[in-house]
Amino acid sequence: MSYQFKWSVLWSGQSGYWLLQGLITTLELSALAWLLAVALGILSGALRTVPFRPLRAAATFYVEFFRNVPLLVWMFFWYFGVPPLLPRGVQDWLFDHGAEFWAGMFALGVYHGARMSEVIRSGIQSIPRTQFEASVAMGLSVWQAYRLVILPIALRLIVPPITNESLNLLKNSSVALTISVAELTFQTRQIETYTARAIEALTAGTLIYLVLCVSIAWVMSSLERRYAIPGLIARVGGAG
Amino acid sequence: MAAAIEFRQVNKWFGKLHVLVDVTLGVAPGEVVVVCGPSGSGKSTLIRCVNALERIQSGEIVVLGDSITSPRMNLTRLRTQVGMVFQSFNLFPHMTALENIMLAPMKVRNAPREDAEKTARALLLRVGIPDKAGNYPANLSGGQQQRVAIARALAMQPKIMLFDEPTSALDPEMINEVLEVMTDLAKSGMTMMVVTHEMGFARRVAHRVIFMDGGQVIEEADPETFFASPKSDRSRQFLSKILSH
Amino acid sequence: MKRGFVVLQVLALLLSPLGPVFAQSQTLDKIKESGVLTIGTRTGSPPFAYINKNNEWVGFSIDLVELLVIPSISKEVGKPIKLTKKESTPPTRIPLLNSNSVDLIAGTMTDTPERRQSVDFSLTFFLTGAQFLVKKGSPIHGINDIAGKRIATQQGSTNAKIIREKVPNAQLREFPDQPAAFQALLQGQVDAYTNDGIQLYGLKAKAPNPTDWEVVGDFFSEEPYGMAMRKGDAKFKQTVDAGLKQGFESGKYFEIYDKWFGPKGELPYPMSPQVKAYLLKQIGK
Repeated sequence: MSYQFKWSVLWSGQSGYWLLQGLITTLELSALAWLLAVALGILSGALRTVPFRPLRAAATFYVEFFRNVPLLVWMFFWYFGVPPLLPRGVQDWLFDHGAEFWAGMFALGVYHGARMSEVIRSGIQSIPRTQFEASVAMGLSVWQAYRLVILPIALRLIVPPITNESLNLLKNSSVALTISVAELTFQTRQIETYTARAIEALTAGTLIYLVLCVSIAWVMSSLERRYAIPGLIARVGGAG
Repeated sequence: MAAAIEFRQVNKWFGKLHVLVDVTLGVAPGEVVVVCGPSGSGKSTLIRCVNALERIQSGEIVVLGDSITSPRMNLTRLRTQVGMVFQSFNLFPHMTALENIMLAPMKVRNAPREDAEKTARALLLRVGIPDKAGNYPANLSGGQQQRVAIARALAMQPKIMLFDEPTSALDPEMINEVLEVMTDLAKSGMTMMVVTHEMGFARRVAHRVIFMDGGQVIEEADPETFFASPKSDRSRQFLSKILSH
Repeated sequence: MKRGFVVLQVLALLLSPLGPVFAQSQTLDKIKESGVLTIGTRTGSPPFAYINKNNEWVGFSIDLVELLVIPSISKEVGKPIKLTKKESTPPTRIPLLNSNSVDLIAGTMTDTPERRQSVDFSLTFFLTGAQFLVKKGSPIHGINDIAGKRIATQQGSTNAKIIREKVPNAQLREFPDQPAAFQALLQGQVDAYTNDGIQLYGLKAKAPNPTDWEVVGDFFSEEPYGMAMRKGDAKFKQTVDAGLKQGFESGKYFEIYDKWFGPKGELPYPMSPQVKAYLLKQIGK
């Protein structure tokens, strides 16, 4: 027999509702994890370049520890490893209030924070050291030099690799299904369970991821053009 | 009168490389000192010690009466009193010329925006490019960028200005516009230490020329004497090379 | 990863313009030609199919294939047949079949009407039903006690579906892998884990303190396990069924059952008279 496609399974029954739920969960999970990852990435990426050895060492430890262990392990770590450290009552409360989601969010955010850190560090290190010297030579503190000069330039330079990392984060959010977070991939499997139509369900999931990724890439490239440094990055961006 | 800058028995190493060797030196207020010497002689390192971009391993440096090698020294205060201009301009590419100049007064001195802008525009006028206020660095010529950089350093109203090869990265036709600004600054009575190979500038503007080699001050003299009758072999060799070009 | 593998399967199917065109007994032709029967089975579902302490891939389902189905196929194609095993999981098993990567799913797959739209099933070779594994003393004694409770299920199983319909306010936590679901139960992330009774007995036996845990509740669903095949290959289905039928008739099936579920088996699970009657009814006895 040849496979008979039956696309109607995607909108009949509860499938459409599940896909929507999955999409919303994926977006919530990814957006929160992204914010956490960017914050951690900027902090640790910047610390890896500052002229104070203990801070550099701490940031290096964070990056190497978190990016070199598979995400799946971190999911289990945050879901199974962390709660037992809390009092029993707190645990129960968490388990009743979406502990899976928060564990998944932390796993994803902390893991990708370590990866973003490297992107941001390389962005900072691509800026000539003399920019930093010029900043502190006029009286700015190290913190001000980073905040007002180094990071604003570095963040513009790294939009393309950050886009890439953000897309990875979105796609990696599907690993959260291993700790029972009902995100998009989970829901496509759910549809498969109920309809035995794996190909249709997976195709729907694939298309949704594709649309999400293309949209993110589009938003990021708009940002890149919007904040391009005149005469510098506009040329690279092509459209500017 | 007390010296504006004083080096006392200063030694500095980069790893095993001894880059400043027992340097003792004074710069008087209002004095313009040109530091020259072959590359690797330690001349850039010397002036970078003045605003503590480089730390020294022994000896003492006193700037405007404060020992900057003591652990209690106030780095921000030092750097607001000592302006620096770099070989590679180092304007911040994401800010306009005006914003580059306004940054330190607003962020270090907390000057109100209007005041900072007024000062910045006056400085742009002083360096001869009032019409470039809104330009980003990438849209300025090298000479214009360096003049903005000088204006930026002056915005903090420093008492001392350091120039680290300010014209070395410029196309020849732009060198003079920068030297003119520096000459005006010297005439206004600014204390200046200038690392440069522009011997014409040294001859016309400097009160004193310091020749360094191998991390040591080999020779100090007024320009007249230095160019007419250098005492050491090394300075003669250096001058013959640099002046034959 | 498994998920990546599924996507590959999907792409392979989407890219083949017309899809494979099957002759009536294409599977048998393929097996005859290659001399190999490829099955998809589990790696972590003792005692049906799992990797044992000696790193051998064994189990009740695998034995049924080797001792009952393979002889029947050999007889049909007239030559000896070898067995190849590939890992399959609930989400991957139907795509694996449809992409011709495997010819038969023999693991722990429940025969359901929905699945029958996509695949054909052999005779039922095992009957169990959904129950709950809970900590001893738990207030949960069956499906009527789970409202508002956190219940772990294995994703892709039919149990979650039934709970969702019967007890919509139970907090379902669906895990793709049994070990994760079981871990969640051990640590208290969930109040109960529901799966087929036989699997729960297996897990209980593996728990650090087996006596702390108990399997509770009546079967809230009947789970007849069947072997799945590509749909429409009647000749192949007949051959597989003939092997099983022969096993039931000769008693060979019950010997194999005893090896795995008997008192000295991997997981003691005596066959109830009702279950035995259910199985034999299939062959008209």
